[in-house]
Amino acid sequence: MANSVNISIEAPIENQIQEITYDGQEIYQAPLSMSENLARLAQKIDFSKTDDEFCNIKKEGESSSESKSEDDKDPGYQSSLWPWDSVRNKLRNALTEVCVLADVLNIAKEKRYMVLDPVQPEPVESRQMVQVYGRKKALAAAAAVLLAGVERLRASETMRMTRNMPDFHIDLLRLRQNWRLKKVSNTIIGDLSYRTAGSKFNQTGVFEVTKAPEEQIAQAMSLNTSGPAPSALRVTVPPELQGVAFISVLCQKEQEDVVTATLSSSAINCPGTLPGDGAELHWQQKLEAAQNVLFCKELFARLAAEAVQLDASIPHMVVGNQIMATVLPGIQLLIGLCHNNGQNNSNTNVDGVKPEGTAGKSDHDHVLEHSLHQLLRAVHHSNTHHPFPHPATGPLGPSKRRCLAGPMAADRYELLDMSKEQSLLEQIIQQAQHFFMRRRSEYVLDTIAKEVKDPLIVSHWNALNSPTQSCVKINIMAHGYDAVCRTSLVVHVGEKTLKCICRDGKVRHLSYELQELRDLIYCQIYQHQMTAVQAVGRCMGWQLLASSSHLGSGPVEPLGNASSCLLASPNGDRMIAIRCEPSVGIQVFIAQSPRKDFFSSELVQDKKWENLGGAFKEIKLDKMEGKNFLNKMELLMACLSSPS
Amino acid sequence: MGVTVLQQFHVPENKTGTYVIELLTKRILALGATQQGQFLVDCESYLSHPQMGTTKTVHILHNSEQPASVFSILESGTKNIHVIADGLFDLLMMKLSQHYTSKKQTKIESKGPRFELGDFCVKLGSVTMNQNFKGVLIEVEYRPCVMANAVWGLLREFLQGLLGPSVPVQPPQHLLSRMNEIYTPIDTIYQYLEHFSAYRKGLRSA
Repeated sequence: MANSVNISIEAPIENQIQEITYDGQEIYQAPLSMSENLARLAQKIDFSKTDDEFCNIKKEGESSSESKSEDDKDPGYQSSLWPWDSVRNKLRNALTEVCVLADVLNIAKEKRYMVLDPVQPEPVESRQMVQVYGRKKALAAAAAVLLAGVERLRASETMRMTRNMPDFHIDLLRLRQNWRLKKVSNTIIGDLSYRTAGSKFNQTGVFEVTKAPEEQIAQAMSLNTSGPAPSALRVTVPPELQGVAFISVLCQKEQEDVVTATLSSSAINCPGTLPGDGAELHWQQKLEAAQNVLFCKELFARLAAEAVQLDASIPHMVVGNQIMATVLPGIQLLIGLCHNNGQNNSNTNVDGVKPEGTAGKSDHDHVLEHSLHQLLRAVHHSNTHHPFPHPATGPLGPSKRRCLAGPMAADRYELLDMSKEQSLLEQIIQQAQHFFMRRRSEYVLDTIAKEVKDPLIVSHWNALNSPTQSCVKINIMAHGYDAVCRTSLVVHVGEKTLKCICRDGKVRHLSYELQELRDLIYCQIYQHQMTAVQAVGRCMGWQLLASSSHLGSGPVEPLGNASSCLLASPNGDRMIAIRCEPSVGIQVFIAQSPRKDFFSSELVQDKKWENLGGAFKEIKLDKMEGKNFLNKMELLMACLSSPS
Repeated sequence: MGVTVLQQFHVPENKTGTYVIELLTKRILALGATQQGQFLVDCESYLSHPQMGTTKTVHILHNSEQPASVFSILESGTKNIHVIADGLFDLLMMKLSQHYTSKKQTKIESKGPRFELGDFCVKLGSVTMNQNFKGVLIEVEYRPCVMANAVWGLLREFLQGLLGPSVPVQPPQHLLSRMNEIYTPIDTIYQYLEHFSAYRKGLRSA
């Protein structure tokens, strides 16, 4: 290949498998210790071979038969008593023989009893032609084998080319670029589990790679000529990983589905698309599907374990392939594992195939799907990525925050906080809670904006937010008067509570009951009207005589207090009194100071008393000209300040 | 973390330290406090080797309120330099033993019960040096506030209620210079060091 190719290499499992437990865990034999290993290797030494040669030398070299008796000893006589037994026996034999040889040499050196004469070796018959023929024949046989192999390969290659068959080895190479493979004896085994990515799930994801039979390829090619060429590979996935799985998240509100979120691979949305017999499916898709099944199984197993361990006030329930948790009073979160492996459809016990809800609901699918994905991936990531110790000699393991706790002099409460870890289920419940809080607040704000036309209520939701917190800014203003007066407040939407920061800097914490938010906004609206009317009065040159935001008079209000203000015209002859009660609305009264209906009586005779101002008369606001309340007030003030 | 004031309590003649601690415990429990375990502040001092020039003293202090931290204060003539580190600092001091020798016989600690009363946290410590009783130190912390200036009056009144009229009008020496700054845990440590040094010099008798 011209291009370089990335190939992962891994060491084979060195230790032998002793036992496979029921949950699939493999127990390996402990590796041999140094001494055991030495004993094993020593036992493997073939002493007999050199023995024989030694004997042959002796037989040739001398005629003495003294050593013959030693060879007859049976070495297996006392075997298997001790690992070193055979070695010892052989060494002892060798020692005996060396001793005998030394004796023989001594005798020969004396030259009194024995003389060693050189013996002429028999000349070897050199029949060269026979040798040449023999070699030629052997080479010809070897060449024939090679040629036959080449012929077969060439034939299959040409056949493949002519019939346009895919190449097995190219496919294998491609497979190996993306998946972990290893060769075990004659088979190719791959691993699709997430273990190398930090998963600690104990189910294995082993698959086998084989060559697809040619008939099947031919059949597949004849069936679809237009599509991509079928692969020469066939991938066999264990039956428990076949098919399609996804996690379905359902939020139920009194037996009514509110939201359905599905977690599945983006390529396969519906469990029906992958047939049980996935032979014609490309191996890449098949492996990805199997990996997704494994991922979903791990996610669900983890969630189920956490659901059992957590002690919530309302206990979480795990029934079959389903986990039930209470998010908010009356709202339940159902997390189900749907696995359709094609063989039996009864496995899907959650009705995840049900068509999605309205478009607004399906918008949310991606969010929960994504956060579930993210949560488990984050766990995987943290399993493999430990923070670096600092300093380099420091302990490995504690988080960066924990490392800084010492130098920052964190007290015991902060340290306790750091040691807490949130489980996956808690996090997903929090996200669901926040989702509901956000939706409910959205609903409340929208309905108020629809109900109340005057003033306008504008809410800005922050586009960037965290999965468990978001923020909305609410502006209350009147059309045309937004420069004169506007009231803004910020609402932080949390998991179970709302935090409202009002214009005056007061912070109010509200519960998940959104009637509280509604009441607060209504109070803010009426407060806004009062301050706005005062601001308009200032603009018009009117004088504020008195104002009170919490009037003690009048009937008791169900929410908040009545407020009022009193304005006087620039030359002081007219007065406007405004009273605002959240339950009634706004009432406006006017009075005029040389009163028209002054008649001198017996008690009050002097004419000057007419300047005291008369009784207040209510104005029918709804009959007045003007677009909104402030506009009406502006017109009223303009009309009252003109010299009549 | 709030503002902490450390105050020493005079042990009356022919009374023991345990008697005083019990007396104060009764008083504070009568106020409605609850006991929340024990506390310990210890201090060990190291002297630099004479070969390194002028002799300097390093005080190593631990506070059970900040269990992950080691506080060290270097006395170098006019100025005190402090370093807050994590637990490995103790091991580092062992490595430096040929440059800084520990004065074992001056190891001093204050330990005793810890009470919580609303926003206040009260610690009644009996000071011991080499298992010899030296005196009683009372630590009062007001947790919601971090400015000594704003809370000294309140703390003084609380201390008066607990200890009687002997509480001085002036805040402790160390706090005086930092009345308008944000209170940090090292300020507590400086106060302890002040008292511990006084006990070591034998200025105060038990």
